[in-house]
Amino acid sequence: MRLRKIAAAILILVLTLALVGAIAELPSPDERVSQSALTQRIIGKGVVETGATNLVAAVLFDYRAFDTLGEATVIFAAVAGVVLMFYHAPLHPSAIGLSILAKRSLDVIGPFVFVAGMYIVVYGHISPGGGFQGGVILATLTILISIVYGLQEERRLLDPRFKTALESSAALLFMTVAFVGVFSGEYFLSNLGAGFFRGHPGSVLSGGAIPLLNVAIGLKVGAGLALVFYSMVKKEPE
Amino acid sequence: MGLSLAYWVVLLLFGMGLYCILTESNLIKIAVGINVMEAGLLLFLVRLSYSPGDLAPLMGPTTGPGIADPIPHALTLTAIVIAASTTALMLSLIIQIYRHYGTVDIEEIRSKMQ
Repeated sequence: MRLRKIAAAILILVLTLALVGAIAELPSPDERVSQSALTQRIIGKGVVETGATNLVAAVLFDYRAFDTLGEATVIFAAVAGVVLMFYHAPLHPSAIGLSILAKRSLDVIGPFVFVAGMYIVVYGHISPGGGFQGGVILATLTILISIVYGLQEERRLLDPRFKTALESSAALLFMTVAFVGVFSGEYFLSNLGAGFFRGHPGSVLSGGAIPLLNVAIGLKVGAGLALVFYSMVKKEPE
Repeated sequence: MGLSLAYWVVLLLFGMGLYCILTESNLIKIAVGINVMEAGLLLFLVRLSYSPGDLAPLMGPTTGPGIADPIPHALTLTAIVIAASTTALMLSLIIQIYRHYGTVDIEEIRSKMQ
């Protein structure tokens, strides 16, 4: 055991020295790195071509939206795996939750958490944020409810089947938006070219399909992570 | 060494995570180590795309030079999501292992398997 620790420490020391040498080869932090033609194009024309002022959202949901579809599939696979693993674990009946103080406090902050999550989802194309980040906040709300009110109450409020349906319909919304591009004579996941509402860049109703895709991803991530947490905390009966 | 502070933090996080993975025998701690390593890697990606004085890639009414490259940011977001998915699967497997063997220590699991 002790020998293993010493060996690991030496290995990591050697690796770190090698990495220091490798990083020293990178452009030094004082000189400006010249950006690639692709980056210059996105920074120069991104707002005109996508209608979104948040260029990270423009890359995620317009230029590389196909990548994001794959990402959503990875989440779907992970959620499916976790749910499958705990499928036969029934609900533990003795989850009664915390004290009345905690319950009333959650009643007060719960709506604000929900609004914060929805805000980050809906404003994802004009300010930092987006479907993934907002979806995680929405999932946090269900985790708070299951801790404070107990798992039974959370299950009564948000049935797992409802969450599954929400996740699947969000995936369907994403695919519908993607196929609008095909049927309008453009390409798969085409944005403004497919005739989505351009709006005035910087306002909420702008950016074509990007807000729609953000909402789809937000619901998908929120419902998916809520399902993951629900499946994990379900206990087998003693 | 002339490396900037962010790179030292990257190396520290990466080394700490790897040390944790190599020496710990508790499965939960190994999962934590993998996540620490991932944090170092994500910081490396973000730091690589940044030059001093760069602004966040949010375009206002006036767009000037010195905007950070948005592509690595999007890639980092993808990496975070994949990391979260793999962590969820990892923890689920650890829970199942605990229910089956009654421990999360790999040495004990190894002795129980024989």
